[in-house]
Amino acid sequence: MEILRCEGVCKVYGSGSNQTAALDGVDLRVDKGEFVALMGASGSGKSTLLHILGSVDRPTGGRVIIDGTDLAGLNQTQSAIFRRRKVGMVYQFYNLIPTLTVRQNILMPLALDRKKPNEEYFEKVVVSLGIADKLESLPNQLSGGQQQRTAIARSLIYRPAILLADEPTGNLDQKNSKEIIDLLKLSNRNLGQTILLITHDEKIALEAERVITLEDGRIIDDRPRREEA
Amino acid sequence: MWREYSKSYLKNNRSSSLSVRIAAFLSALLLSLLCGLFYNAWKYEIERIELEEGGWQSRIVIGSEDKIEDIKNFASVKDVIVNRPEDGRQEITVDLYFYDYGSVLEDTPEIAASAGSSPEMATYNYALLAMYLIRSPQDTAPRMVFPLFLLIMGMASFSLIVIIHNSFAVSMNARIHQFGIFSSIGATPRQIRTCLLQEAAALSAAPLLLGNVSGIGISMVFIQMSNSLLRNDTAGRHKAVFGYHPLVLAVTLLVTVITIWISAWIPAGKLSRLTPLEAIKNAGELQLKRKKRSRILSMLFGIEGELAGNALRAQKKALRTASLSLLFSFMAFVMMQCFFTLTQISTRETYFERYQYAWDIMVTVKDTQIDTFSQIESLQSLSGAQSVIVYQKADAARLITEDEMSEEMKSFGGFLGAPGQYVIQTPDGWLVNAPLVILDDASFLSYCGQIGAAARLDGAVVRNVIRDVTNPDFRHPVEVPYLKTDYDKKDASNVLAAAGRSGSEGRTETVQVPVLAYTAEVPVLREEYATIDYYELVHFLPVSFWRQIKEQIGGTQDDIRICVLGRENADLEELNALQGEIMRLLGDAAIAESENRIQEYEANADMIWGMKTIFGFFCILLALIGIGNVFSNTSGFVRQRKREFARYLSVGMTPQEIRRMFCIEAFALVVRPVLITLPAAAAAVWYMLRAGYVEASEFFAEAPFLPIALFMLSIAAAVSAAYYLGWRSVRKINPAEVLRDDTML
Repeated sequence: MEILRCEGVCKVYGSGSNQTAALDGVDLRVDKGEFVALMGASGSGKSTLLHILGSVDRPTGGRVIIDGTDLAGLNQTQSAIFRRRKVGMVYQFYNLIPTLTVRQNILMPLALDRKKPNEEYFEKVVVSLGIADKLESLPNQLSGGQQQRTAIARSLIYRPAILLADEPTGNLDQKNSKEIIDLLKLSNRNLGQTILLITHDEKIALEAERVITLEDGRIIDDRPRREEA
Repeated sequence: MWREYSKSYLKNNRSSSLSVRIAAFLSALLLSLLCGLFYNAWKYEIERIELEEGGWQSRIVIGSEDKIEDIKNFASVKDVIVNRPEDGRQEITVDLYFYDYGSVLEDTPEIAASAGSSPEMATYNYALLAMYLIRSPQDTAPRMVFPLFLLIMGMASFSLIVIIHNSFAVSMNARIHQFGIFSSIGATPRQIRTCLLQEAAALSAAPLLLGNVSGIGISMVFIQMSNSLLRNDTAGRHKAVFGYHPLVLAVTLLVTVITIWISAWIPAGKLSRLTPLEAIKNAGELQLKRKKRSRILSMLFGIEGELAGNALRAQKKALRTASLSLLFSFMAFVMMQCFFTLTQISTRETYFERYQYAWDIMVTVKDTQIDTFSQIESLQSLSGAQSVIVYQKADAARLITEDEMSEEMKSFGGFLGAPGQYVIQTPDGWLVNAPLVILDDASFLSYCGQIGAAARLDGAVVRNVIRDVTNPDFRHPVEVPYLKTDYDKKDASNVLAAAGRSGSEGRTETVQVPVLAYTAEVPVLREEYATIDYYELVHFLPVSFWRQIKEQIGGTQDDIRICVLGRENADLEELNALQGEIMRLLGDAAIAESENRIQEYEANADMIWGMKTIFGFFCILLALIGIGNVFSNTSGFVRQRKREFARYLSVGMTPQEIRRMFCIEAFALVVRPVLITLPAAAAAVWYMLRAGYVEASEFFAEAPFLPIALFMLSIAAAVSAAYYLGWRSVRKINPAEVLRDDTML
């Protein structure tokens, strides 16, 4: 079942002679429950594509449909609500709110909807991510790995249609990186979570079921891991 | 978001919201002060109207007393005061007082008709009704109290919004990255805006209440000050009693809340409209929009100057409130000090020093004629008085022929260009005003002795002086003879009744007044001549001669004046005693008002001091908003500028050099208002010196350098303290840690 579809997505920055095309007609389809890695060199357009998929940015051309919603038709408020309910975002530098505890950070998307958390699911997520004993800590009292786990927990709390992770291991050591990738795989396998992971690390990309390579704003390769292997 | 985020943020970041609290407090204080003062001015005006005109709202005339009970029975009528005529006439004037001011204009004609009086004959206390916003189309007088108040409040609110919205913006923009994160996880623009407005409300609530209470307190102090400075014995003034009404508090709170809400809404709205990407990308680091060199700072202080200049430019928006309020407060303070110094010089020279040896006590005896005034001798025999001159002024006219005009007067055009309201051209010549100053006989004889004229009481002394009307310097006028020298020998002046000037029906009789002397010297009185009408020809005459011609001339003013010069170097106590003695002598026979030169001098000094205090207070208030903004900005340095400082440290800049950079930034912030103000103040002073014909050297001898320097140093000390606190927090930065902590985007 298709959960994400991009049709001819373009993104151009600047105007006139200063125009730069970050994305140049990207066509992409991701099915529910897939774990996809998006690879590419620096400046290839990976982050731009991720921002567009996460509706934090808008394409200058083409269509993006996630879980049946055409992102082009959303206004600012609808985009925000879409992000809250349908998309989980994980950033390289965690982007946690420094003044909130781990628990508050994780529950923030639900709080924005004035919803009470499903305690069982919350417990399951924090236990599986290994941060159950850190719930009352502030982000600056945690290690980088723990902060990233918190960010993943926050992105999963609403059971989003798709989890978008932008270099989630870029700021972590090898041990923590492996643990984070394992956690993402676990959530993909156990919760059926669709994941789109951005990385420039080939080794990490190979952990995904499908690897897409982006160059100069275009998809130049899209194949299953087994084939690559 | 309030419970989850804002509450703990505000609790743990008190210092970063200091500027918002200060801005809210000062806004509330200013608006509450304005409302409190307006309410008291309004109340005072009502009291004045009631004292002078009475508190009735409308007045009707009825034919008999039978109708009074009917009038009283009207539901809207609260009270009825009946004024019975003393001259035996039948008409009775009835003053009506209503429960509701709103029904006055509607019910009065009805009441008048039912009492058998013509509704058109009803009169209304329009001045009083206008104070309650009840206006009638019949009342064409401009009643400006409320429109003026609304205008001032509107302007104050608008100015405050312009100034303080930036304080909110600084506080909000400091967390733009965090709101970007919120937005990226699904917070809607409305949720973000609501969160920011809730924070603004929470931060402003206590300062708002405190500011309102302080404003009420300060308005109470101002009313007390006005009572003591303006003195209650001043003619036409009664004591102001401070008052306050819950409705005023409600209006003040409403205006303050609206002002603060708009100030918070502007930046909150802008921030909530940012896309998450824009918000997250703006990690709070200050950026220069385009390259521009800080030539002066870099020339003066080298690379630190260049960096400080760039930093100030990058913080332009954040420091806008500070820049504007420091500039305006300093400029207003300097202008105010210069203006009052010039006023003091001018008043002292044109009034106190000029009349220092002319009078100590001036008494005005109302509704009295000098020819029937009997206490002249007893006044002149008072032991504490060096001289007592009793005089009265009368209006008259005189015809000047071309032959009479002096050559000097002709040289500047004679009556050419003389305003028609003062000089009337006739076939025989020009009819000019000839004010008569009627002196008591003893003073007139003394005056004759002073100018060397024959000591006679059967004629007048003519002030034969006219100023060169082409020279506008009123402080140093060029005076020339009015009439020709050979006409100086002319022994009579044809004085007409003033009514004859207009050619209207009335007295047009001419009286031949023997001229005892033509002179430029005038009796020692607190009077100025030919200041408005340059062409008037003043005559001084004794009261015994006035008795002979008063029937033909008439035109005396209602009051007589007594000019008393006390003993040399008399102090205030002595003058007060003499003043009491004079008032006792005058008794209850006439209503008299008296002034005392030293008291007046002190009252004038007090008044200027009071004005300076009030204006100075507003300048300090304005400066405090700016200083609050600087404190708020420097308290956010760790968050906003840590990467900037970490980069400097990483390339080898020492902490001392960063401190120097801070000093330069503080210096530039303080010096900028000074550099902008000084040329503007110099131009304004130059203009005021020219307009007031005051010598520059006189001004510089008394120029308010000390208060201006103190004001500037206070601002400098406050800004330095803010930067010192900023420096204290910044020096703890670990560059390695900061540079490692980058953002994703």
